[in-house]
Amino acid sequence: MTEQPTPAPIVEIFGLTKRFPGVLALDRISVAFRPGEVHAVIGENGAGKSTLMNILAGDLQPDGGEIRIDGKPATIASPLASRTAGITVVYQELALCPTLTIAENIMMSDMAARSVVSLVPRDEMRREARAALTRLGMGTLDPDTKVGRLSVAEMQLVEIAGAIRQRARVLVLDEPNSALSKRESDRLFDIVKQLRGEGVTVIYVSHHLKEVLDLADRITVMRDGRTIETMDNSGLSEERLIRAMVGRELDTARQWSLQAEARSHEAPVVLAVEKLTAPGLDEVSFHARAGEILGIGGLPDSGKDMLGEALFGLCSRHGRLTIDGKELRGGDPQASIRNGMALVPADRRGAGALLTMSVANNVVSASLPRFSLAGFMRRGAVRREARAQVARLDARISHLGQKLATLSGGNQQKIILGRSLVTNPRVLVLHEPTRGVDVGAKAEIYAILRGIAGEGVAVVMISSEIPELIMNAERVLVLRNGRISGELTGAGINEEAILARAMAS
Amino acid sequence: MTHAVRTGARAPATDRFTLARLLRAREAGVFIALLVMCLFLSFATDGFLTSLNLLNVGRQVSLLGIMAVGMTFVLIAGEVDLSVGSTYALSGLATGMLIIAGWALLPAIGAGLLTGIVIGLINGVLSTYGRLPSLIATLGMLSIVRGAALILTNGQPVTVNARNGALPDVLASFGFMGQGYLFSVIPMQLVFFVIVAALAWLVLSFSNFGFRVYAVGGSAKAARVSGISVNKVKISAFVLMGVLAAFAGILGLAFLPSSQAGRTGLGLELDVIAATIVGGASLSGGEGTILGTILGVLIIGVMRNGLVLMGVSPFVQELMIGLVIIIAVGIDKWSTRRPT
Repeated sequence: MTEQPTPAPIVEIFGLTKRFPGVLALDRISVAFRPGEVHAVIGENGAGKSTLMNILAGDLQPDGGEIRIDGKPATIASPLASRTAGITVVYQELALCPTLTIAENIMMSDMAARSVVSLVPRDEMRREARAALTRLGMGTLDPDTKVGRLSVAEMQLVEIAGAIRQRARVLVLDEPNSALSKRESDRLFDIVKQLRGEGVTVIYVSHHLKEVLDLADRITVMRDGRTIETMDNSGLSEERLIRAMVGRELDTARQWSLQAEARSHEAPVVLAVEKLTAPGLDEVSFHARAGEILGIGGLPDSGKDMLGEALFGLCSRHGRLTIDGKELRGGDPQASIRNGMALVPADRRGAGALLTMSVANNVVSASLPRFSLAGFMRRGAVRREARAQVARLDARISHLGQKLATLSGGNQQKIILGRSLVTNPRVLVLHEPTRGVDVGAKAEIYAILRGIAGEGVAVVMISSEIPELIMNAERVLVLRNGRISGELTGAGINEEAILARAMAS
Repeated sequence: MTHAVRTGARAPATDRFTLARLLRAREAGVFIALLVMCLFLSFATDGFLTSLNLLNVGRQVSLLGIMAVGMTFVLIAGEVDLSVGSTYALSGLATGMLIIAGWALLPAIGAGLLTGIVIGLINGVLSTYGRLPSLIATLGMLSIVRGAALILTNGQPVTVNARNGALPDVLASFGFMGQGYLFSVIPMQLVFFVIVAALAWLVLSFSNFGFRVYAVGGSAKAARVSGISVNKVKISAFVLMGVLAAFAGILGLAFLPSSQAGRTGLGLELDVIAATIVGGASLSGGEGTILGTILGVLIIGVMRNGLVLMGVSPFVQELMIGLVIIIAVGIDKWSTRRPT
């Protein structure tokens, strides 16, 4: 942060655009990264940060605009091209080989650059790896340890060690410390400062505003696929950053939840959770009433993403759950369904949907006993139910036998919603209910959820998209470090309030 | 640890726990199992612990061993090759037919090996650039190659002898390769196995190529971002497998100079994969060693031999081999927590 004439940027981005089906992920963004600076990129989920990083990593190709490296127009056609240009991206999900040792992982690009018929220089590898680890203050780690045996934090540092060894000129850290302890992240910050001193550009993507303010020389705020502003980090406050990240008008639908809040205040409690403890969650207690949409917000590492699975019994848990006063025994999904809970998981492709099966079979797949007789599917009943759900949810399909994989994200989500409804839930838990869904279908899904709540179901909406919570929930719980850090109701629900409770450090 | 220690001595914490590490190694379990089996057989039978019998076991496992060495590369690279039994048959037959046609030994063997190379190349290209899972690609090749062998021979047995047209000196050298003994003691097949295994061990453990094989199988993504050409490495592994299967097939014909396309090497791929997996290679890639594979091959060989010496029926032998596969891999999975 010394006073110097502004150096020429090492990586410059002009009017970069990236379009995904139904979403404009990057909308003509421009930003310049200078040598030897720590440049933080912040923004809400969906602001376009990850897309930008993936383009820099060579994993995605932009649809328009220009990237200049050292002032010359460049295309980053592949991950290899990115590394050759001196850019190293350390992702949250790491590119390491668990079956190889630390030394072998750190030296992998070295090995790739050498001749196939050369020998493996074991001693040199070990020595170099140890040197790289020592630079990160991890000299006590044995370079011969298999990476698969390390903690996530150690893996992250190993990946950074590899990046340092390759003399990366631009080091992109994507949420680098979400898995690190306080001490480990302190060490990481020291390393970042050290690298900056050596002229390395560090692009730092983070949700933790306090760290960003501590660490960054400049901060770029992204929102809705656009770069809003790039600020020098002097005299900035968390409030200032939050305001830049938010800056959005409220939707009219907010009105609905304000009215609904008044309505449902007296409604009976349907779901009561006492001291729920599970991986990432620490004695969380709350309740949801009939007819309300309860929003759950928080940062990616707050425990929010485990809540749905924990409630539904997909992971081991402790604590007491009751539905309509009846205690939920046996923490398995079958018991949850039997007792009136339904889950719409976030990971539609992996966990949520039977993509290779038909619409009709997906709709009944959570309630098979009701639709089978002596071991045979009651095809007539299946089709009747499927037709009813498709009509109710206004899902656009060509016929009931259509494979789910061929539907759009929004229509897939509606079918999965339909599957939950067939089980006649008292509690409907949704995790990222509109992820990968285009704007039009989003609004439809919101309307459907309000309708379901209106029938007296308690709807629990876990979401990373704050506007979605504001628009639909009459009450919002914010999680941080596995605990509830705040409860907002009615007019108190706004972006600043949610972010402040999610991030306060 | 202090700086002084770290820079001064090259001996890190590793070396202090050599014994513990040795015991923790995947091979240790297989080795102990083999040892126990050998001890038991030494006491339970008269014939087991004689140099003649042990060399005999060595000869019996050699062809399986040569192929298992190739399979080790393929499995470590994260792929599998089901076509090796058919390659074994076709390459042997090709060499045999050329010898009968009056070819000299080396060109005939070269042509047989070339068959293996081409099959390996096809397997590799289909499984990488062709984007087929190798299980499917090589399953297809299993049938195609077997079919080619049947067409080539018209389903008739091929017998390599002078009456069918083989030159006498070619026949003699060819027979020596399969049936001969080095220093009149060590079976030539075993000599070839030892050479192949030693070379493969050097390549896999000490060469840059070996490193790439492990990297590609351990995490294709990590290998790719490091600049390793994942496809080339995998194709090379398949080609190596093809050559070794062909070589084993040629030796097989040299040992038993009659072969039939419909029978030879039928189901052999399963024995090869079984031995490799008992030796610690993982079907999910990234893991396996030549030493482990040799031990896996020996376990199966010693067990067959021991059961014969004890007069156990061949039917029971099959069953026992199956148990060994499940127990050997099971011990590994149940006793250690695997990194995920």
